[in-house]
Amino acid sequence: MNQLAHISPIYTALLTVAAPFVAFLYQALVGKRDQSGIISLLGIVCSFIFAALTWLAIWNHPVVSAQLTWFIIGASTFKVGILLNNLSVLMLLLVSTVALPVHIYSRAYMKGDPGVHRYWMYLSLFCFAMLGLVIMDSLLLMYIFWELVGFASYLLIGFWFTRETAVQANKKAFLVNRIGDLGFLIGLAIIFTQFKTLNLVDLFGEAGLIYQSAITNGQWVSPVNSMDQIWLTIAGLAFFIAAMAKSAQFPLHVWLPDAMEGPTSVSSLIHAATMVAAGVFLLATVFPLFNESALLFIAIIGTITAASAAYFALGQYDIKRILAFSTISQLGFMMVGIGIGTWDAALFHLVTHAFFKCLLFLSAGAIIHEMAHFKVHSQLDFDPQDLRNMGGLRKYMPKTFMLMSIASLALAGFPLTSGYLSKDSIVISAYEWALSKGDFYLLIPILLVIVSILTAFYIGRLIFKAFFGDFRIMDQVRDKLHDAPLHEASKTMLIPMFLLGLCCLFPVFSLNPVSYHDSWLMDGLLLDEYTFAPSHNAHVIIPLLLLIGSVVSWIIGWKWYVQQKYPLNANSLSLRAAFNQAYINELYQWIFVDGTLKLAQFCYWFDRYVVDSLVAFIQFIVLSLSRLSVWIDKHIVDGFVNAVASVAYWTGNQVRLVQNGKLQTALYSVFLFVLLGLIYLIFF
Amino acid sequence: MITLTHFLVVSACIFCIGLYTVLSKKNAIMILVGIELMINASILNFVAFGKYDKVSYGGQIFALFAIVLAAAAVAVGLALVLNVYRHYKTINPDEINELKDK
Amino acid sequence: MEIILFYAFAVLAIGSALLLVNLKNIARVLFLFFIVLFAMAGLYLFALADFVAITQIMVYVGGVLILMLFAFMLSNKELLKDLQDSSGSFLSMPKWQAIVLTLGFLTLMILGINEWQQSIPTWILQARQNNTEIIPTDNNIQQIGLRFMTFYVLPFEVISVFLMMALIGASHLSRKERNR
Repeated sequence: MNQLAHISPIYTALLTVAAPFVAFLYQALVGKRDQSGIISLLGIVCSFIFAALTWLAIWNHPVVSAQLTWFIIGASTFKVGILLNNLSVLMLLLVSTVALPVHIYSRAYMKGDPGVHRYWMYLSLFCFAMLGLVIMDSLLLMYIFWELVGFASYLLIGFWFTRETAVQANKKAFLVNRIGDLGFLIGLAIIFTQFKTLNLVDLFGEAGLIYQSAITNGQWVSPVNSMDQIWLTIAGLAFFIAAMAKSAQFPLHVWLPDAMEGPTSVSSLIHAATMVAAGVFLLATVFPLFNESALLFIAIIGTITAASAAYFALGQYDIKRILAFSTISQLGFMMVGIGIGTWDAALFHLVTHAFFKCLLFLSAGAIIHEMAHFKVHSQLDFDPQDLRNMGGLRKYMPKTFMLMSIASLALAGFPLTSGYLSKDSIVISAYEWALSKGDFYLLIPILLVIVSILTAFYIGRLIFKAFFGDFRIMDQVRDKLHDAPLHEASKTMLIPMFLLGLCCLFPVFSLNPVSYHDSWLMDGLLLDEYTFAPSHNAHVIIPLLLLIGSVVSWIIGWKWYVQQKYPLNANSLSLRAAFNQAYINELYQWIFVDGTLKLAQFCYWFDRYVVDSLVAFIQFIVLSLSRLSVWIDKHIVDGFVNAVASVAYWTGNQVRLVQNGKLQTALYSVFLFVLLGLIYLIFF
Repeated sequence: MITLTHFLVVSACIFCIGLYTVLSKKNAIMILVGIELMINASILNFVAFGKYDKVSYGGQIFALFAIVLAAAAVAVGLALVLNVYRHYKTINPDEINELKDK
Repeated sequence: MEIILFYAFAVLAIGSALLLVNLKNIARVLFLFFIVLFAMAGLYLFALADFVAITQIMVYVGGVLILMLFAFMLSNKELLKDLQDSSGSFLSMPKWQAIVLTLGFLTLMILGINEWQQSIPTWILQARQNNTEIIPTDNNIQQIGLRFMTFYVLPFEVISVFLMMALIGASHLSRKERNR
C-alpha cells in the first residue's frame, strides 16, 4: 500500500483512463468470441482503483499537471497534458464509481443479447472517453474527448439498430449534440484569438489570463489582444450552448427522451450520471469566463428547463421517459446553480444526482427485465415499460421496491438523504442571490420551489403506480398463470443497486444531515466567497417548505393513484400536451427537418431546371456556332478553293480545245498568228 | 483607169475567200479548192505587178511557175486524199486526227 | 469601157468564189470553180498578160480542174458530201472564227493597199518614167520565150523536173493495192 501511495498521481490518472481503453481494444479485436464482458469489467475495476488512488493523492493537495508538446503552428505551440485538481479528480472518482456497478449489472441485464460483445466494446469506449475528458488540461483536448463521448453515446443509443425508433433516436442525439459542438468550437476560437492559448492552467489558474483581462472603454482587453466587449458574452454563451446540447437544456433537450431507446444500463450510466454531467463540468471549468449577462442567461435557461421538464414528466406513462425528464429537470437545477454563481453547489448536486439517478434507472431496468420475461412467458403483447401495465409489484420485487424508494426520496430531497443536502443548497442559494439582486429575480427561486414539489409528485406517482395497487396486466391472464408472474431481480443486479443505494444516504457526503455547508465535497470545491450574503431565514424556511410540499404531494398522489380516486380528466389538453412534450418535437420536425428537405428539393429543382437549362442553352449556342462554322467552312472556305479549281478547270478546258488534233485548227492558229504579227509590225 | 490597186483588191478578196474555205470546210477536196483559190489570188498579184517589168518579165514568168506548182500540188493532194480515204473511210478532216494505224 | 468589163470580170470571180464557199455539193463547187478560173483568166488579160491567161485556161482549167473532176467523180459517193454543217439551210451561219480571221486579213490587206498607195515603190515609178511598162502592142510570147531560154533557164528546167516528179509521185501514191 505504501508503495502504491508513492506512485505519481500522473501515472495513476493515466492508468485510470488507459484501463477501459485497453478493454475496448481487446473487445474490438476479439469480437464475438468473448461475450462475457469480463475484460471490460476488469478494466473498470482497475480504473476505479486507480481513480481512488489519484483522488487520495490530489484532494485538498496541491494541483499537479504534466505536459508534452504536440505540434507547432507558426508561433503557437500546442501541448497535451493532464491537469489534476480537486474538480478533475472528483469527476474521475465519480465516473469510475458509477461505472463499476453498471458494468456488474450489465452482465445480468444484457445476458443473451446477440450483440453483447459490441455492447462491452462501446461501454469501454465510453468510459475511456469520459475519464479522459475530465483530466485534460487543454480545451482542445477536452473538445476531442467531448466529441468522443458523444460518439460513444450515439453508438450505445442505437445499439439495437434493427429498430427504426432506435436509429432515429441516435441520429437525433448526434445531430443535436453537433449543435453543442459548434458552440464549443466557437468558444474555443474566441478564447484562442483573445488569449493565444487553450491551456486551462494558463487561462483559469490562480494567475490566469482571464483574471488579468478587464473590460475598459467597451473593449475586452487581455494581455495579448483586445476585442469588443460583446465577445466576452458571446464566448460565455458559446460554451453554454455546448453544455445545453450535452446536458439537455431547453430547447436542445429533445434528444434525451428519445435516447431511452438504448439499453437501460446505458441510460443509467450515460444519460443520467456521467455524460449529461459533462456539460456541467465544462461550465464549472470555464466559470471565470462568464460575465453577468451570460450567467443570468444560464440561470434563466436552467429554470425554464427545470420547469418544462417537470411538467412533461407529469404526463408520461413510460417509466424510462419519466426518469429521462427527471434527469433534464435536475440538470436544469444544476444550471441554475451555475448561473447564480455557486458552481460548487451545482457540482455537489451533480454528484448526488449521479448516484440516485443511476439507482433509479437500474431499478427501472430490473422491473422492465422482469416484465419482458413475463411477456414472453404469458405470450401477451404489451409494452413492458408502460406504467399502466404495472401495479402491485411490491409483492413480487420487494428489494427493488425498497431501493427504488430510497432513490426516489433522494430525488425528492427528503431529509436524511444526500439529495436533500444538494438540492437545498441550490434552492437556498438561489433565494439568497435573488434577494441580493432585486425583487424581480425572486421568480427563479419560487419556480425552483414549485419544481421541487412537482418532482416529488411525479416520482411519487411512479412509485405508487408501479409498486402499489394491483398488477393491472395480470387481470388478463389470471386464469392462465398459477405461480407468481414476476420474480425478484437477480443478485448480480441487486448488489450494484444496493451499493448505489448506500451512496444515496447522507453520511457519504456530510456528517451533518441538515446543513450542506459541512459537506466535505463543498469544502473541497469551496469558492472564496459568494457574491451575495447568506440569509439565515432562508436556511430554515426553505427546507421546511420543501418538506411540507413533498409530503402533501405524496398524500395527494396516494389518493389518486393507489386509491384510484383520480379527479382529473386523463385526456385533458394539458395532460396530452405534457405527454407530447408540448409538441416541441413536432415543431422541430416541421422547421428543421421538413425545411431542410424542402431546401434540398428546391436545390434539386434549381439545378435541374435553371442550371441544366443554362447548360443546355450554352450547349445550344456552342452547337449553333459549330454549325455556323461548318457551313462557313463548307461553303465559303471550300467554296473558295473549289472556285479556284473550277476556274483552273474551265481555263484548261478552254485551252485544251486548241489541241484537238484537227487539221483546220492548226491552220487557223497559224494564220491567226500571222495576222497578229502583221498587225503588230504595221501598226506598232 | 485600172490601177494596180484594183487588181490588188480583187486579189485580196479572192485570197480571203480561199482562206475561209480552207479553214471552215469539212471536206478535204474543198480544202484543196481553197488552196487553189489562194494560189490563184497570188498569181493575179504577180501578174498585176509584172505589168511594170518589161525588162525581165519577172512577174509573168513567175506566174507561170506558180501555175505549174499549183497543178503539181493538186495532183499530189488528190492522191493523198485518195489514200486517206482508203484508210480512214472518210475525208472529214476533223476525223482524221490520229497518227496511229487503225 | 474597160472599167466596166474589169468590174464585170471581178464581180464574176468574187461572186463565184463566194457562192462556191456556201455550197454543199462538191460537183457544183467544182463547176463554179471553173467559172472562177475563167474569170481570173480574163483579169489576167487586163494586166496585159495574155500568155499567162492562156496558160491558165489550158493548164488550170484543162488540167487541174479536169483532174479534180475525174478524181472525185470516179470515186465513192461519200466524197461528194460536204459535211460542213447539218443545219440544212442555204444561208446557214458559217464558222465565226474563220469569218473573223478572214475579215481580219481582208481588212489588213485593204489597209496595207491604202497605205501602199501613198508610197508606191520606186521601181514602179522608175518603170513608169523609163517607159518600161508592158504595153499592149508588145509581143509577150516572144519575150517570155526569150526570157525562159536565157534568163530563167534554170528554174524552167527545175520546174519541169519537179512537175514530173510530182506527177510520178502522185500516180504512185494512188496505185491500186494488191491483195494481201
